[in-house]
Amino acid sequence: MEHWFTDIAQALVNWLMGLGLSAGWADFVLLIVQWLCIVMIVTINVIILIWLERKVSGFIQLRLGPNRLGPYGAFQTIADAIKLLTKEDIIPSRTDKWIFMTAPLFFIVVSVMLYAVIPMGDGMQVVDFNVGLLYFISIGSLSTICLLMAGWGSNNKWSMLGAMRAVAQMISYEIPLAISLLGVVMIAGSLRLSDIVVAQGNIWFVLLQPIAFITYFIAATAELNRGPFDMPEAEQELTAGAYTEYTGMRWALFFLAEYTNLVAVSALCATMFFGGWQGPGLPSWLWIIIKTYLIMLVFMWMKWTFPRIRMDHLMSFSWKILLPVSLANLVLTGFGLEFFKWMGWW
Amino acid sequence: MYGKGLLKGLWITFKHSFEKKDLVVRYPEQMPHLQERFRGSLAFDFEKCIACGICIRNCPNNVLSMETAKDEDSKKKKLMQYTIDLQYCMFCNLCVEDCPTNSLYFTHDFELSQFHRDDIKRVYHRPPELDQQEAAQKTSDQDTQTAADDKKEKQLRAMINAINKNPQKVLARVLDGEEQVEVLAAVLMADEKKLARMAEMMITDKEKAKKVALAFVKKELKEREKGGDQ
Amino acid sequence: MLQTDQYIINIGPQHPSTHGGLHVEALMDGENVVDAIVHLGYVHRSIEKIAESRTYPQFVPYASRLDYLASHLPTLGYCQAVEKMMGIEVPERAEYLRVIMAEFSRISSHLIFIGSMAIDLGATTGLIYCLRDRERIMDMFEMTSGQRMIASYMRIGGIAEDVPETFYAAARSFLDDLPQMIDEYNGLITGNEILQCRIKGVGTLSAEDAIAYGVTGPNLRACGIDYDIRKAEPYGIYDRFEFDVPLGTKGDSWNRYIVRLEEIKESARIIEQALDALPQGDIRTKVPRVLKPESGWEIYHRIESSKGELGYYIVADGGNKPYRLHVRAPSFINLMVLPIISRGGKLQDIIANIATLDPVLGESDR
Repeated sequence: MEHWFTDIAQALVNWLMGLGLSAGWADFVLLIVQWLCIVMIVTINVIILIWLERKVSGFIQLRLGPNRLGPYGAFQTIADAIKLLTKEDIIPSRTDKWIFMTAPLFFIVVSVMLYAVIPMGDGMQVVDFNVGLLYFISIGSLSTICLLMAGWGSNNKWSMLGAMRAVAQMISYEIPLAISLLGVVMIAGSLRLSDIVVAQGNIWFVLLQPIAFITYFIAATAELNRGPFDMPEAEQELTAGAYTEYTGMRWALFFLAEYTNLVAVSALCATMFFGGWQGPGLPSWLWIIIKTYLIMLVFMWMKWTFPRIRMDHLMSFSWKILLPVSLANLVLTGFGLEFFKWMGWW
Repeated sequence: MYGKGLLKGLWITFKHSFEKKDLVVRYPEQMPHLQERFRGSLAFDFEKCIACGICIRNCPNNVLSMETAKDEDSKKKKLMQYTIDLQYCMFCNLCVEDCPTNSLYFTHDFELSQFHRDDIKRVYHRPPELDQQEAAQKTSDQDTQTAADDKKEKQLRAMINAINKNPQKVLARVLDGEEQVEVLAAVLMADEKKLARMAEMMITDKEKAKKVALAFVKKELKEREKGGDQ
Repeated sequence: MLQTDQYIINIGPQHPSTHGGLHVEALMDGENVVDAIVHLGYVHRSIEKIAESRTYPQFVPYASRLDYLASHLPTLGYCQAVEKMMGIEVPERAEYLRVIMAEFSRISSHLIFIGSMAIDLGATTGLIYCLRDRERIMDMFEMTSGQRMIASYMRIGGIAEDVPETFYAAARSFLDDLPQMIDEYNGLITGNEILQCRIKGVGTLSAEDAIAYGVTGPNLRACGIDYDIRKAEPYGIYDRFEFDVPLGTKGDSWNRYIVRLEEIKESARIIEQALDALPQGDIRTKVPRVLKPESGWEIYHRIESSKGELGYYIVADGGNKPYRLHVRAPSFINLMVLPIISRGGKLQDIIANIATLDPVLGESDR
């Protein structure tokens, strides 16, 4: 069970090489297959996640959540997806058409690109970059531009406000996010995500870097535009923020991208702080799924409990609390590492 | 302290998410529990209605209307049609509250949506059974009437017979003094019409009979006096 | 050189958190509010005009529709106004039941306030917990009057029907569970630091401004002014009950919230006393079917609604319908301070301010 997927990949490469392809071409075909797999994983995950989010919010709010279509309402998301696909694609007349139309596409592409470096099991990684973490953070911050495009292109004041909030918020929270992850990088000694997973063989980094974990978690919530930091959408204030003018499939793409991001960030959290795919008994790819879903449940739990923070508090929280705390954590980690080395424990 | 309130909130929602979800009523399969006085839909009982019109006067929104006709025989108001235009109803209970016969009442049926506006209107026509019933009522009334007439006649004949047979004893009921009774007896025996009239009055109204009898006697005595003079 | 510009943003009338059809035209400088103008009238149903074509008893269900979140209170005010004009005495038992119903309405209205404030600030779950508890009050209303929201239970000269036996147990058990419910709101909503940041020191209304604008009810008491018509000018039998008037100090959104939370407890105290002292007897005096106040009679009667001073001004012309009926709607007057408390704040503060002013647009637009 452990090597199912790697075996399949190996068999595919062998078969292609048996057909007379060179090793480089076979790897290239494998890469395409892997991308298709990621898109499939993303779609299936989103379908499950939307259902899960509805169920979790329902349970928290003393409701049952979806319960009509299929067992425990499992097919509700599929029905919704069909509805969204068949809806008319309305493009308001005074929008900046190209920007308006391409923003959701860019958003989903950027979100799927994040999966390239996530280790989804032992040796199950599309590309094992030596600067995987840097790649993840830099690609992750690209989604800011997509939201700005959506808000700007809509030519709507609510959308514009939402987009501006998104830019301000996501750029401010990039910094504590990256710096909090640096503590982990210092201990692991590598930016390669597979190395970081292997470095947690004895102890999870959440125990060595609790402050970094908390700052990462808060910053990630803000990065994901999830409650209590869902400023760009802010239903009660901005109606739907940057997505106000979107309908049908274009709106659904935003939705898809948001959940894709959620899975990616949670998977990164599991990789960086909870030992990634490592775990006893079960196969490695199952472990990362379990860990990711547990982290996502916490995200949902927080969203459905907390009120929304105010924009200026959000910014001051980032710059005045999270950034100094994560910097202090970095300094502390440095001193700690030197101390351990000096004592000869490392 | 910072963070403590957040954690408490998380704990509360966490506890509730494992609660049994018995607050939810899964409506079409499971009907909601309605209280006894619940005001669902307005309904009307045609047979009880006496067409007094209090409901129509009480209604703030002109929901109710009725058509009445005058009954040819009894000159009573007769309800022909009753209309509840439910789309304007505010379910305020003012009509039901003052209905003297409880012919208007609220049911627990709350599923009032219709596809067409006309379907919301509820028109109650006079049920034909009600007319039949009334007709039956009328004939039976007539029967009893004839029966009563028969009885009366019988009584009258018995009374006349009694007077004929024993005038002294019977007429003593209306007059005091043997002399007067004798005079009256003589008058009545002479005129059958007067006898019948007297007998009838004795059955229905004794006081009147007494007065009339006295008048008869006085007249007779006067005539006798005149006769005597001549 | 970057150029900045002020812009106008229309909050409402189609907006998720304007409690109906409220339209706030906000002049913005980025996220900062420069000015706000309140536009009203989207829920105008001309209830005052309708009153002129309805007889006195017929208007009762319309009064319910003014403040549909606390429907016993506007009907109580109207019935008392007509009774005052006609000199009708109300039986003891009816008076007590009226107080019980009115205070339950106040609790339910305040529960909606807490919940809607929570959801306006983004805490969706807070609303659901408040609605869950309000549902028990709604069940009691259904038990007594047959309707849940728009009960039209009060009648001129008393109440419509006596309460059923099951009502007492339901009322007592609700009162018993109330402290537990409030604990839960405190845990989930009041104690939440994010929420405290959102409403503490936001939308501060000075006592002078509050008086100048004619603000009443919990919004006025949040400014620290001890003015409750139940105490200042007791109507009905409110002088027989012992209760405190919760006061705020600063007049900000936080105080407005806390005052209402405390008022729930005080209302519960009143209900408990009323249930204990509830006498037996009639529930309705004989009132002539056609009420005809003499021409020229007029009356102003006010009660402490859950939103503030709810007054009815009725002018009679000798007919069986009022010549003119005016409603002094507290929501309408309270909303007028929205611009002065929102100026200089953030866009999100407008939402918080609308929520904590607790307007009911049905009453404000009439």
